[in-house]
Amino acid sequence: MDVSHLIDPDRGLIRGEIFHSQAIYEQELEQIFARSWIFLAHDKMLPQPGDFIQNYIGEDPVLVVRQPDGSVRAFLNQCRHRGMRICRADRGNARNFMCSFHGWNYGLDGDVINIPHGEAIYDAVERAEFRATPVRLANYKGFIFGTWDAAAPAFEDYLGDFAWYFDAYIDRYEGGLEVVGMHKWVLPANWKFNAEQPASDMYHGEVSHASAFQVMVPPPKDAHSPPPDWAMRQLGQLSNPSGFQFASPYGHGNGWFAGGMPTMNETIYRWQEATAAQVAARLGPERVLSAGHANIFPNFMMLSNYTFRVTHPRGPNEMEIWAWSMAPVAAPAEVKEAIRLDLLRTFSPAGMFEQDDAVNWEEEQRILRGHMARKAPLIYKQMLGRARYDADGLPGRTVPHVYAEEGARGMYRHYMDMMSGAPWPDLTRRKQQREDAERRALAAQGQPPAKPDAAAA
Amino acid sequence: MNEPNVVHLFQREDHLAPVNVPMQTAYEIEQFLYAEAELLDAWKFRDWLALMAPDVHYWAPVRENRLAREMEREMYPPGTAAHFDENLHMLGERVNRLYTNMAWSEAPPSRTRHLVSNVRAHTTGQADEFDVQSSFHVYRTSSERHQDSVIGKRFDRLRRANAPYGFQIVNRTVVFDMATLLVKNLSLFY
Repeated sequence: MDVSHLIDPDRGLIRGEIFHSQAIYEQELEQIFARSWIFLAHDKMLPQPGDFIQNYIGEDPVLVVRQPDGSVRAFLNQCRHRGMRICRADRGNARNFMCSFHGWNYGLDGDVINIPHGEAIYDAVERAEFRATPVRLANYKGFIFGTWDAAAPAFEDYLGDFAWYFDAYIDRYEGGLEVVGMHKWVLPANWKFNAEQPASDMYHGEVSHASAFQVMVPPPKDAHSPPPDWAMRQLGQLSNPSGFQFASPYGHGNGWFAGGMPTMNETIYRWQEATAAQVAARLGPERVLSAGHANIFPNFMMLSNYTFRVTHPRGPNEMEIWAWSMAPVAAPAEVKEAIRLDLLRTFSPAGMFEQDDAVNWEEEQRILRGHMARKAPLIYKQMLGRARYDADGLPGRTVPHVYAEEGARGMYRHYMDMMSGAPWPDLTRRKQQREDAERRALAAQGQPPAKPDAAAA
Repeated sequence: MNEPNVVHLFQREDHLAPVNVPMQTAYEIEQFLYAEAELLDAWKFRDWLALMAPDVHYWAPVRENRLAREMEREMYPPGTAAHFDENLHMLGERVNRLYTNMAWSEAPPSRTRHLVSNVRAHTTGQADEFDVQSSFHVYRTSSERHQDSVIGKRFDRLRRANAPYGFQIVNRTVVFDMATLLVKNLSLFY
């Protein structure tokens, strides 16, 4: 199915059909999920040989396993015989995986190591034919991503300029991150809502999360004093927003307030302040505050408060969120505990921010059942035509406002590329040509267009 | 067999022991739990908060699917993944949020029914404190056609108190039966 008539990134218009159609959903499983790099695990989730976790690429279950030699492998969690799941646990430790249907037994690397009565009933057991379908893996600073597609670009090329921004979330401190725990839950809404928002939409916070901001402001010392100065500074960012948004040719997006992501937790705030110089020395001054929210296309999102999550697609009308809480290894124990509690109280299914996001997406999904609701395109025009390259010390394509939809336009432009079904080498070439042309045009103008809608006019 | 290093919450001997409180005490405890359910269903969250002891700990660990031989590890231990891990101040923030009229997950407010059953009480080392287990089914309906159910079990430490319903909750552990939560949120209390 051709989706190009539903998405117009140059004019910032997208029809709701892409969130609703079953046919488009099936095409996404094939063209997006089976061809993209998908987050599967973090090194710290698999400390010992035999440790495994089950994750998904789209709707396909994948086993990710620490090998006896310390490497990690992953394979489709499906017995090659009758297609049942080989392992039904979320995680654990194993020496091998036996399918409980007929007893085919798979090693930690996915090779079949025993087939009951195999020698009597099969002429030959071809290793390549009988082994569980392997996933191509990449490990970026402990974050393990996988793809089925041998033709997909190398992971670092796929990240491209986003790697610079990603490091501001995961590599701020020596030792990286450790895993604290996780939450899994379902929402009656399309997976793209939870990809698009962290790629692009900081704009919703002031209204969607008004109740949480209101009650989490620390109380004043006495009835005559205002709330503490630091908390008011944090809230001030919402009433006078400034910052940036990044959009990747591969669909990733990042957005951040110039003053950093507002937090209402004093322990975390003080620690961030105390370590800012240390982060600046490690990453450079531009990246001390450049972690806000982000999405690695298609479905790996992160916030600067150390939630890292995958939004698994479950039909056009449902997503399943798997959210890991992490914390910097280098943080003192009381800061780690503050991060853990802050996260579960804000961005878990009981979280005071998360639950208000959920109803937005639920309402969008419900309303898009309507014919008229899907007919008129939705408006994605914030900061349209304001993209620059390598400006303000920021690599790649950015716009100079935190409230923008450049990340969403970039995400859906890449989404169109993928949904076209064109092979990866063609897509990579197309993206490079597009960027080269844009850079030339901007250089010829000397300055980015002054008015937000200039490029569309 | 692996030696369990975390005792499964449902397999603790003291939880499985026969009820040993007098019938009168058991009745008072049951009536306390029903009154609490009534307050929650009536959106009397500040009155509900008054049932908490000043040193209350309200905790709901995350659970997951484990192999049978690793069953004792299915609950995330204290200090890790939880749906709630609250003291009185933190619970107060959640209650206040529901009264801002901007808590969009509860706008319009949902209608709930807290059904409490399987109440079993045991004495403790403290004469005025009791360990109380109960099962709950929270049915919720909201908006035009939303409905969902959350079912689970609670392990409470109750303390006799000069309070409207005779007890305060010192400690509550809520264990949801679902591993992956098949509901859109946990916007209320359990």
